[in-house]
Amino acid sequence: MAPLDTGSASNLFSVGAERLALLGKHHKALMQGYLDGFIDEAAFSESALKKLIAARILWRPDEQQPLALRPLVSELIASMVADENRRQINADVAEKLEQIRNRVQAYRDAQYKGDYSVAELQLQRLTEHVHDLSGQFEEAIDSLWHRLNSDFGFVASLDDKIRENERAQKQLRRLLDGLDLLDFNELIELSEGNNQLRKLLVSQLQHQLSSHHSSLLEVQKRLVELLARFRQQQARSMLITNMAAFLRQHPKYQPADYPNRSDVPLLFNQAAAIQPQAAIALDKASERQILAELVRALPRAAVINLPDQQSASFAAVMEDEEIAARQQALKTDVENFYLRVIDKAGPVSALEYLAEQQLSWDSEIWLYQIIAEYQALPQDEKHMFAIKRDEVPASAVNSLLLIRDISLSLQAAG
Amino acid sequence: MLQHGPLLERLLAGAFICQVSDEDAFRHLSQEQTQQDINHYLRPLNRRLVSNDDNSVYFLAYHELNKVAREQLSSQFALTVQSLLPLLEWLQLVQETLGRDSALTAGDTIKLQEFVLRTEDNQSLRQRLNQLASDRFFNSQSDALDNQVKLIFRRLKEHGYLLQPHSDRQYYIVTGKIDYLIDVIRFIRDEEHLPVDDTPTQQAML
Repeated sequence: MAPLDTGSASNLFSVGAERLALLGKHHKALMQGYLDGFIDEAAFSESALKKLIAARILWRPDEQQPLALRPLVSELIASMVADENRRQINADVAEKLEQIRNRVQAYRDAQYKGDYSVAELQLQRLTEHVHDLSGQFEEAIDSLWHRLNSDFGFVASLDDKIRENERAQKQLRRLLDGLDLLDFNELIELSEGNNQLRKLLVSQLQHQLSSHHSSLLEVQKRLVELLARFRQQQARSMLITNMAAFLRQHPKYQPADYPNRSDVPLLFNQAAAIQPQAAIALDKASERQILAELVRALPRAAVINLPDQQSASFAAVMEDEEIAARQQALKTDVENFYLRVIDKAGPVSALEYLAEQQLSWDSEIWLYQIIAEYQALPQDEKHMFAIKRDEVPASAVNSLLLIRDISLSLQAAG
Repeated sequence: MLQHGPLLERLLAGAFICQVSDEDAFRHLSQEQTQQDINHYLRPLNRRLVSNDDNSVYFLAYHELNKVAREQLSSQFALTVQSLLPLLEWLQLVQETLGRDSALTAGDTIKLQEFVLRTEDNQSLRQRLNQLASDRFFNSQSDALDNQVKLIFRRLKEHGYLLQPHSDRQYYIVTGKIDYLIDVIRFIRDEEHLPVDDTPTQQAML
């Protein structure tokens, strides 16, 4: 850039640099002000506040209001951190277009006068405007994509998302309207006879704007789709809430008998499950090889050798069997005793029979079993036997009777 | 048809096939040729392939409605009607518990642990869950929150509303059968002219 007036330019430079430095110097407090929406004046010294106000970084919107960041500064921050809640979209094309026209005129005038340094400067300014115009769309498109890709995640509720989406669509329409304002025939006319102008206004700008145009259309398509999805979600939430409320209020509610209508609604025509079964086909010789492999692959039941456990369980089984066998033997002996009673006409003493047969049973168990067998007889068979207990008192003072022996005899029938 | 064997088995077993439950199978089912092939195969079994309104979930329907089929449909329908309220309440509960701004849709993931943690600390959610768990659709006998939640999710998995990608990890994905449920509700609402709104009123939009 070739400065036209070195004096004013250097002044501009020093003031600008100084004020930019102010932003850096108070970055934390200013950023806090951005987040809070107002500036905590206690965080600054009085002279610092004065400087910030003079630099048009801070202002007091109203006498009653606290200091706040100027809108342009807020906007700068919002754009830098892509804060979609605060980011502004500038869709004003007419103003930029007017500036471009003016600069072209000024450039042509300077060239006509042969004032090449002025012409050079005007061209420089013109280039900036063209870049600004393109950059404005780029910024807007970036912001729209950003919002779209985050599913409008910067607002919490679905209703807010729907509102944000609608706002974005309005912005987008304004941007498209702005693009329509650009008349390339006019730009071609403006740049007529000048290569540099044609390159800047026609080939470069046209190329950029047409790519912006297709980006915007793509964003628009996606925004509409997303809005439809939001609306669908909203409808679904409402349906769930309201239907649940309805069913709660009407616990006895029963819908019509759809399955027995002549025309069953598809939704309620849900067939019963069938579980297909299959087995190995033994008739296919070709598959024998595979079958054999499958059988071979079957995990075999491993033989587990646990000698301790085995002997323990063996003993347990033996014990059970032994007891059962002994009981059976006792029963058999008692039965034989009864047979003896039937054979012999007179009474038979149980203990005598025990001694006589040299049976090894304990006398008490023997007597118990005989009594038990007698009790187990059917009523009419009981009458056939006369049972006589040989009892003695336990001691002189205890009248408890102890059975010493039992004698059994067959009773004459009747 | 051999290539669709496993898919046919799942369909015959009463499964609902959606993009979440089986992406490949769903893609096949979306093709008209496959649909025709499958219907041709199913014809002798008195079955046919159908889908919900927006083709997001496929299942089998009867081809001809004989007496046996009608009886089956009647008992199926009774079960569906009985399950409506518990399912709706579960949907609401999950949405509120997890602080989501919209209702559950196919593909959403629910982490069981997160759900338990958030319910634990909130008396009213805890009570609603308790009530829901004891509904006969879920039929929980337990008083312990953890068991109740596990049971509810297991039942929903059995009914095909949820998918558990790893049996040892406690997170679930909502399947397309939820779309079917919403369609059923919408159908009943429309057919019976129930006073159940699903469009925001002008007031709410402003």
